[in-house]
Amino acid sequence: MLKKLLALLLSISLLLGASGCARPAKEAPRLRVVASFYPIYIMGLNITDGVPGVELSNMAGRQTGCLHDFQIQTDDMKNLESADAFLINGAGMESFLDKVVDELPDLMVIDSSTGIPLLESGAEEGHHHSHEDGEHSHDHEDNPHLWVSVDNCIQQVKNLSEGLAELDPAYADAYRQNADEYVGKLTALRDKMHEELSDLSTRDIITFHEAFPYFADEFDLHIAAVINREPESEPSARELAGIIRLVRQTGVRALFVEPQYSRTAADIVQAETNAKVYILDPAVSGEEDKDAYLNIMEQNLQTLLEALK
Amino acid sequence: MEGIYQFLDALLPFEWAEFAFMKNALLAVLIITPLFGLTGTMIVNNKMSFFSDALGHSAMTGIAIGVLLGVDNYLFSMLGFALLFALAISSIIESGTSSSDTIIGVFSSAGVALGIVLLSINGGFSKYSNYLIGDILAIRPSELLMLLIVLIAVLLLWFFCFNRLMTASLNPDLAASKRINARLYNTLFVVAIALIVTVSIKWVGILIINSLLVLPAASARNLAKGMRSYHGLSVLISLFSGVCGLIVSYYLGTAAGGTIVLVAAVLFFLSFIINRCRDKA
Repeated sequence: MLKKLLALLLSISLLLGASGCARPAKEAPRLRVVASFYPIYIMGLNITDGVPGVELSNMAGRQTGCLHDFQIQTDDMKNLESADAFLINGAGMESFLDKVVDELPDLMVIDSSTGIPLLESGAEEGHHHSHEDGEHSHDHEDNPHLWVSVDNCIQQVKNLSEGLAELDPAYADAYRQNADEYVGKLTALRDKMHEELSDLSTRDIITFHEAFPYFADEFDLHIAAVINREPESEPSARELAGIIRLVRQTGVRALFVEPQYSRTAADIVQAETNAKVYILDPAVSGEEDKDAYLNIMEQNLQTLLEALK
Repeated sequence: MEGIYQFLDALLPFEWAEFAFMKNALLAVLIITPLFGLTGTMIVNNKMSFFSDALGHSAMTGIAIGVLLGVDNYLFSMLGFALLFALAISSIIESGTSSSDTIIGVFSSAGVALGIVLLSINGGFSKYSNYLIGDILAIRPSELLMLLIVLIAVLLLWFFCFNRLMTASLNPDLAASKRINARLYNTLFVVAIALIVTVSIKWVGILIINSLLVLPAASARNLAKGMRSYHGLSVLISLFSGVCGLIVSYYLGTAAGGTIVLVAAVLFFLSFIINRCRDKA
């Protein structure tokens, strides 16, 4: 308790000192914000752009792929302990969140998923669908890959910027203005994608790993099957056989793999059918650049046009 | 390749043999399992099962080196490292400073740890996790050919050098009296194991490759009455576990490599029981 009090006093004195004079950029940050992983970090980069004294870090860092199997380390906890706000994706992506909240009850957590309708994960396989016996109606898991839909991403940016504006009222306008600017870009991207994807000759796709349901929903694509529900293991022979039959019957032309994961299963399906393998990026890793998400989605648009035109 | 597929289609009018990937996997099993059955006998005889296990683990570092060098095929980096690793282990064991299982244990853990550290530099460990459990379904015809070449090479080695290999490994004194260069033959054997483990690790998996080397030979040892039947049984048990495990895995929807090893393990316990009953009788 005493330590925290001291820390509080220290930060107040720092703040008082900081408000007086113009400070060089190298000084201790006024506000430390931690983003849980890459997509949230990119949103944060846009929202906090140019706001003085904000230090934004990406907790999962170089960890590629989704947060599914991320193990929170002592270092991460330390990092969070000294943070002013923790930006999260929500919807269950941060499976370690309970632990963080338990240990750091004072940490301000800004959940970007607020107000976004969630899809159930693994719905078509039905293994989370045991609703018959009433007791287990809470047994389902939500699909956390919200940001892959541009619409959701826009909502997430708004949620995060509101949270930051509340945390740091002195610069509320700056956060909101940044968010508006970024949302403008995202909206333009979304409209462009809607327009260009409006007349495709087929809308059936097969994806690997469950990252694309929100994206497919938004752009009216039909996910005929998802292979490798768990990205770390290869599908069994029986699953492969089922998928090959499905592709042969339905005539799905495009298989979409994610650059973060192995593509051997897709290659097997490609060899046995007329379908081709393309790379669709769910934007969970990449350049640490403000426009990274926009660029990745632009690339996805081109891939979709090539595959489905 | 088309000819082989048509032959298999005619021979195996089953659901599981409908797909090319299953035919490829079956062919791979037909090549890998005799290879393992044959090498396994000598590994079990020489009490080297821990050594081959360590070699399997060294593949992790081999892969990591390949990734860092930016090559597409990790075979050569794995093979190079496995050879280095194997020779380093044998020369340190020969120096006689600590017991061999300690030395192998040290190398084995170091091999895995170095591999993990090197792979985590780029952060993308999940891409390589299929090396851990193997992915025999992804094997391609060109890779089958390579396995076949290794099988033929091992068969030739066994055919021409079996007695000398055996003598050198079991009884160095006898080997010396017969003017057999024990060191040369032991090294040859170690190189052969390194080669076999490396070419098959992608399909069998780091975690279970050693079980496949050791189990059939261990079962055969329980049942065999002589050198000839020992080797014959080992190859047969290995083949049977491979084919049986592959087909069972298709219908159960389980991982092929693990299922094959489980079948081999069941056979081992059966052979153990048979052996006990025979002893009592």
